[in-house]
Amino acid sequence: MKKTVRYIRRELLPGLLGVCFGSLLLFPVFYGIMGAFKTPAEFNAYPPTVFPSSFGNLDNFRTVFIQVPMARYFLNSLITAVMTSTVRLTVAALAAYAFAFYSFRGEKVLFFLILGTMMLPADTLLITNYQTVSRLGLLDTYLGICIVAFVGASQMFMLRQHFMTAPTAVREAAQLDGCGDLRFVVSILLPMSLPVLLILFVQSFVVQWNAYLWPLLVTNSNSMRTVQVGVTMLTSIEGTNYETVLAGAVVAMLPAALLFAAMRRSLTRTMSQGAVIG
Amino acid sequence: MQRAERKPGAGAVKPYLYLLPMLVFAVGFVYYPFLKTVAQSVAVVNFKGEMTGFAGLDNFRYLFSRREFTIAIANTLRLMGINVPVTLALTILLAWFSARPRRWGPVYETMLALPMTVSMSAITLIFKVLLNPTVGFVNYALGIHAGWYTDRHTAMSGILMLTVWMGIGFNYLLFLSAFRAVPEDLIGSARLDGAGPLTVLFRVQLPLISPTILYVACTNMIQAMMTSGPVLILTQGGPSRSTTTLIYLMYTSGYRSSNYGLAACVSLIAFAMTLVFAVLLIWLEGRKVNYQ
Repeated sequence: MKKTVRYIRRELLPGLLGVCFGSLLLFPVFYGIMGAFKTPAEFNAYPPTVFPSSFGNLDNFRTVFIQVPMARYFLNSLITAVMTSTVRLTVAALAAYAFAFYSFRGEKVLFFLILGTMMLPADTLLITNYQTVSRLGLLDTYLGICIVAFVGASQMFMLRQHFMTAPTAVREAAQLDGCGDLRFVVSILLPMSLPVLLILFVQSFVVQWNAYLWPLLVTNSNSMRTVQVGVTMLTSIEGTNYETVLAGAVVAMLPAALLFAAMRRSLTRTMSQGAVIG
Repeated sequence: MQRAERKPGAGAVKPYLYLLPMLVFAVGFVYYPFLKTVAQSVAVVNFKGEMTGFAGLDNFRYLFSRREFTIAIANTLRLMGINVPVTLALTILLAWFSARPRRWGPVYETMLALPMTVSMSAITLIFKVLLNPTVGFVNYALGIHAGWYTDRHTAMSGILMLTVWMGIGFNYLLFLSAFRAVPEDLIGSARLDGAGPLTVLFRVQLPLISPTILYVACTNMIQAMMTSGPVLILTQGGPSRSTTTLIYLMYTSGYRSSNYGLAACVSLIAFAMTLVFAVLLIWLEGRKVNYQ
């Protein structure tokens, strides 16, 4: 009996309370998903409801793909997110490799020069970067969307920390045996860093997938828009109604949310570590 | 460097080669644009972005004389002034509540962290509908007739609700891991001395997680200072400029009107303000620690 009371007080009640907090916080998302299944009549009815009468109504999702080239937006987002994450990680890994395994003149200065990029908020550099990208003829191209995100100072820092855990003796032995940098990286360093690289990749992917302001700035043609930019176009199309907008929002947030749910544990750990170092 | 003697190849070309791509991008898309912003703020810049002469402080003088600018500063400061403390209080409370691992902990921890994956455009669109004056659910549920994004008195509150919502997930996770890193026996011995949960929170836990508080306050302050996405999607700075923020002003003057000199001034001011507030926060935190 005493045990049950204790269980209710220490586990059950706080647990329920926590779920209540969570539900309250997630209500907007829930409302959006529910609304995406409503018919126009249901939406305009008074009083407003949360639940649709049935989940069989997929018209709104269909409308999203008809009103705007959503499939093309998806492709664009996919290409830019993969491209950004790949290049950013490669560039960061190369730099991390240099810092972890070599000592050279100017090492400290260059290290802080790279970390210093985190001090300058990207949003304040938008307009001048726009001029650069425009002069390079990269407006309305995938490279133009990605290029400003290739600098990943925090990724570089985390990879360096990780590389430094590699046994230096192994590396030295490998080098004495005539094993070059490339072979060391491919056969020893990469396999042991795969989990970290994967997490950093997913994190980069989600951030780039959700990017808005820069992709909006550098794309002019409809066929180059990313999902996040394109979906907001739904609100400016004549005759588009709320339930279509909500269906668009659901489509836009789904991939990143699913990716997050699938990798929640490892992702959250790495992200909070990355945040602590800056 | 401690590891220096263990590292081979001192004086070699290779490390510079490996660093080259990173340095090219860092200089090309961070340092160069920053210096260019500084230069353009004191230059005569034509609509193509070419600097054609020295303007002294004319750009700044012109900017300061515009009412739009003072409004943008006031709006941005207000956003920051409310967003930072509210986010801190909410996320600290939520993390404090869930600090002790429970059987159902993972369920609500995931729920509370989930907002961090929802993209800005998606949640902004949802809020647009949720706060719609006629068909939106919030007005109905609260029994009010607020105009939200269509009314200049409530538009900023609507933006604030949205930005606070977006900041909760990640900061909650940071505080959660900070609370869990506080040694259990410190809390235990304080409890033995007769301290209640609130005393433990203010005397033991909060002082120990103060580095995380500083970090979250700083990043949140920067984010609030850079607020522009929701403004672009929801209000276009209106109604009657009530939601014009600094970065939104930079965007419109630089990108829409091609007034690059003006845009450079705005972004420098935004940058300087973040710097000042960051230094202020660090100073405040240092002072608090010294007094203990």
